[in-house]
Amino acid sequence: MSFSVLSLLLLNAMCKLGSALTPPSFVILLADDLGFGDLQSYGHPVTSETPALERLANGGLRFTDFYSSSPVCSPSRAALLTGRYQTRSGVYPGVFYPGSRGGLPLNETTIAEVLKPLGYATAIVGKWHLGVGPNRMYLPIQQGFDHYVGVPYSHDQGPCSNLTCFPPDIKCFGTCDTGMVTVPLMNDDAIERQPVSFPDLEKTYGDFAAEFISTCAGRNRPFFLYYASHHTHYPQYAGKDATGQSRRGPFGDALVEFDGTVGNIIRALKDGGIHKNTFVFFTSDNGPSLMRMSRGGNAGLLKCGKGTTYEGGVRVPAIAYWPGRIKPGVTHKMASTLDILPTITSLAGAKLPRVHLDGFDMSNILFRHGPSKRKAMFYYPMDPSEEIGLFAVRLGKYKAHYYTCGSILSDTTPDQDCHSTSSLKQHDPPLLFDLEADPSENYNLAMSEDPEYKAVLHKIQKESPLHHSERLPSMCFSAVGPFSPCFSSGSATLV
Amino acid sequence: MEVSPRASGARTMSTNHLGVGAALLSLILTSTCCSCLETSRNGSPPNIVIMLMDDMGWGDLGVFGQPAKETPNLDRMAAEGMLFPNFYAANPLCSPSRAALLTGRLPVRNGFYTTNAHARNAYTPQEIVGGISQDEILLPEMLRKVGYVSKIVGKWHLGHRSQYLPLEHGFDEWFGSPNCHFGPYNDSDRPNIPVYKDSQMVGRYYEEFEINVKTGESNLTQIYLEESLLFLRAHAKAQQPFFLYWAVDATHAPVYASKSFLGRSQRGRYGDAVMELDHSVGVILDELRTLGLAEDTLVFFTSDNGAALVSAPTQGGSNGPFLCGKETTFEGGMREPAIAWWPGRIPAGTVSQQLGNIMDLFTTSLALAGLPVPEDRIIDGLDLSPVLLNSSLIDRPIFYYRGNELMAVRLGLYKAHYWTWSNSWEEFHKGVNFCPGEEVDGVTTHDQKEHTMQPLIFHLGRDPGEKFPISVLSEEYRTALQNISPVVERHKKNLVVAVPQLNMCDLAVMNWTPAGCEKLGKCLKGPKSQPWKCDWPH
Repeated sequence: MSFSVLSLLLLNAMCKLGSALTPPSFVILLADDLGFGDLQSYGHPVTSETPALERLANGGLRFTDFYSSSPVCSPSRAALLTGRYQTRSGVYPGVFYPGSRGGLPLNETTIAEVLKPLGYATAIVGKWHLGVGPNRMYLPIQQGFDHYVGVPYSHDQGPCSNLTCFPPDIKCFGTCDTGMVTVPLMNDDAIERQPVSFPDLEKTYGDFAAEFISTCAGRNRPFFLYYASHHTHYPQYAGKDATGQSRRGPFGDALVEFDGTVGNIIRALKDGGIHKNTFVFFTSDNGPSLMRMSRGGNAGLLKCGKGTTYEGGVRVPAIAYWPGRIKPGVTHKMASTLDILPTITSLAGAKLPRVHLDGFDMSNILFRHGPSKRKAMFYYPMDPSEEIGLFAVRLGKYKAHYYTCGSILSDTTPDQDCHSTSSLKQHDPPLLFDLEADPSENYNLAMSEDPEYKAVLHKIQKESPLHHSERLPSMCFSAVGPFSPCFSSGSATLV
Repeated sequence: MEVSPRASGARTMSTNHLGVGAALLSLILTSTCCSCLETSRNGSPPNIVIMLMDDMGWGDLGVFGQPAKETPNLDRMAAEGMLFPNFYAANPLCSPSRAALLTGRLPVRNGFYTTNAHARNAYTPQEIVGGISQDEILLPEMLRKVGYVSKIVGKWHLGHRSQYLPLEHGFDEWFGSPNCHFGPYNDSDRPNIPVYKDSQMVGRYYEEFEINVKTGESNLTQIYLEESLLFLRAHAKAQQPFFLYWAVDATHAPVYASKSFLGRSQRGRYGDAVMELDHSVGVILDELRTLGLAEDTLVFFTSDNGAALVSAPTQGGSNGPFLCGKETTFEGGMREPAIAWWPGRIPAGTVSQQLGNIMDLFTTSLALAGLPVPEDRIIDGLDLSPVLLNSSLIDRPIFYYRGNELMAVRLGLYKAHYWTWSNSWEEFHKGVNFCPGEEVDGVTTHDQKEHTMQPLIFHLGRDPGEKFPISVLSEEYRTALQNISPVVERHKKNLVVAVPQLNMCDLAVMNWTPAGCEKLGKCLKGPKSQPWKCDWPH
């Protein structure tokens, strides 16, 4: 069939179907280190200057049992974009550093790559954190994204003590990571400026996102926008519109700025007349960084935070928003960042990657308030090893911890179990919690004589070993290589 | 002086931009203009319904982040009304908090405290000799002056001896009991708690009014709901305004729920109780709508103190992100869920950052009824009607008392602890833990620790969980303390403490022979009077 015949046929089909059947567009709003209890809709008693997020919560479907796949950034982001546990893609242990040799393997299929064959425009704005690598080979534009504006890793992965985080000239709190290059702002694979100007960063992001949306809307082209914000990760920063606006201090100001960009993105969708044909999903990459004390977030009633496999480390806020399609409300169905790829694939009518996926299509929850296809959640630590992979399993309402380990990222909480001094501990029999009766994981049921618990443990143990089949070698070793992005020349200048 | 912003009758929608100045102005206008009635219907003042939960925590409501799915009706009430994330009990324990609600005064002023030991929580078990003083003026006594009829449904807890009962203090009707529903007792060492209808007992818990402590089954919440509906219907057509004080206690240990709710929640028996109460809230609001009273009735939902973490997980609730629970003066002990609902008058779906206190319900109710507050005494409650009707914000401190000691003060977002204490080592070693999983070094102390020279100060905006005291060397600390100190000084200077009512206990005063026991043949023989100084371990 010649090209012109095909396009005629396509055109014909499009005319018949009408523009109402333009495939939906997708926006993922990903906050950084924002905890389960940090939003007003999730019970934060002080947060109140976040109208856009509250509108999402009131007009969308809010999840109470939503999980990221990892208690730290890089693995969590890899899983979100691929629908696969990080152990399959090798994005572990820990996170990527500016000089890391590795990245998300190029043969992994991201959401952007799933959508591209259908003619979607794709863009990521903000934090990538899935590798830079030799010759910048792991940047988003190599992974299905047409455009990229952002910092390719965490914005604390470069010295910041001399940088301004809040206008007019409030220096960033602490030193951030020293001994590496200052963090760059990238445009596709070129460095736009280095170091970034934190007070101006969010405006750059917001403008880019709005522009991208309005261009796509104008051309009637479906798109995928991945806004991976740096907020509310340490060191908190904000522009002049958000500085001093919150009663929660610097953390709150960062959240206010994130909220402002969320508001701008939703407005751009409305202005483009496409808000009723766009699926918006908001969530966070992992739990709050409690070591930052009042500059860290809040896990609400959940135990511990970032870096741990307790609920506070991985249970995150999440809202699905699609006016006219998703009925506003609250869902208690279990779901995960792993489920985003299969859901988007199904909504777009795209083809699933031919690999083992760990995610499930959430359509039944979103559109019918029906049961979740997800029955279990597997909890991996930030540094899964060959010998000890899985730390914990949630099956239905029960969660069994086979191993627990505190983390420096959750230090300073009153709960000793969260601290780095609580070293790796095996539990035999595993600790067992009923997360519905006891979401705070306070009361271990495994001590109970009730035969029901024995049956539950048995069932969970039967489920768990199934989950060890595939594992790629780690991509996160070689922490500091010579591959740091540097403005001046090809060779890295270590500061 | 005849025109106040509220008396003009204008329906002011939510204006969050009203400055403090304007708020104060409207407050002054309101308080100097006592004759202006809050007219809403035929010139008569609004009905008032106070829904007071027992030991329900801030974090138990879906709208405050509880992931269990138990409160669709309360969440809707919040969506139709005004939510208060910063609302406080007057005390971390039931009796004093309830006495404060009905008198508008701190427990140290109205007598609901003890001096038997320093900083101890006291309440009214049935061996207590004291009760609410004749000198105190209760809300229904005031409302009666302008023609309100008042009913209390549920737990009274302001003294069980005849002179202390609700009908002696302004209520026209009562269905409920004077004490907690502990038991069952054997009626020889200790009588079961009586249930009253008005001034006569109609039975006893665990006897005529069954509570199965094993299964948790009891239909008391259903009875309390029915009693409320009867009252609402009876007064719907009358021109008489009413005050309903719905003081249900299903979430207090031993927690109970009726058969149709048992086993329905994901949190176990406690969640079942929450679900049944939530259901009842929905039925009452629906009934007000059906009766055409919704726009003439202020409904206020709150709880008497923080969740009893010591009874968790099966018999205790959640305080969300706050530190510790009931019995303590940390946020978890005194921060309460609160929702105001008045369709057409209170803007729907609003969240007010006003610091509120349960004592404000006294003053606010009087203002809405067009009554002046008693002038011969200090009233701690604030008139929240500008907050409810005009979304104003009024600057005010919160005082955290435990027994006879001012433990902490909140001013704005700063909270200064002058004393810290969770509970004694002795009790703690017995397994009594008010702060499970939350031992904050130097804060949740097991000795009564004095910090009056250098209070621990927290910023509740950045640190609502009270985990990171502000450095005493910082400028922020100095400024915060400079602001709080004069407030504390003024408070202490003007403090006239009442005679403590909760010092003496006596087995002879227990519920052996409640009024009406003869008719039922339920009088019991008690021991001879042998009063002693009550022991309050917390």
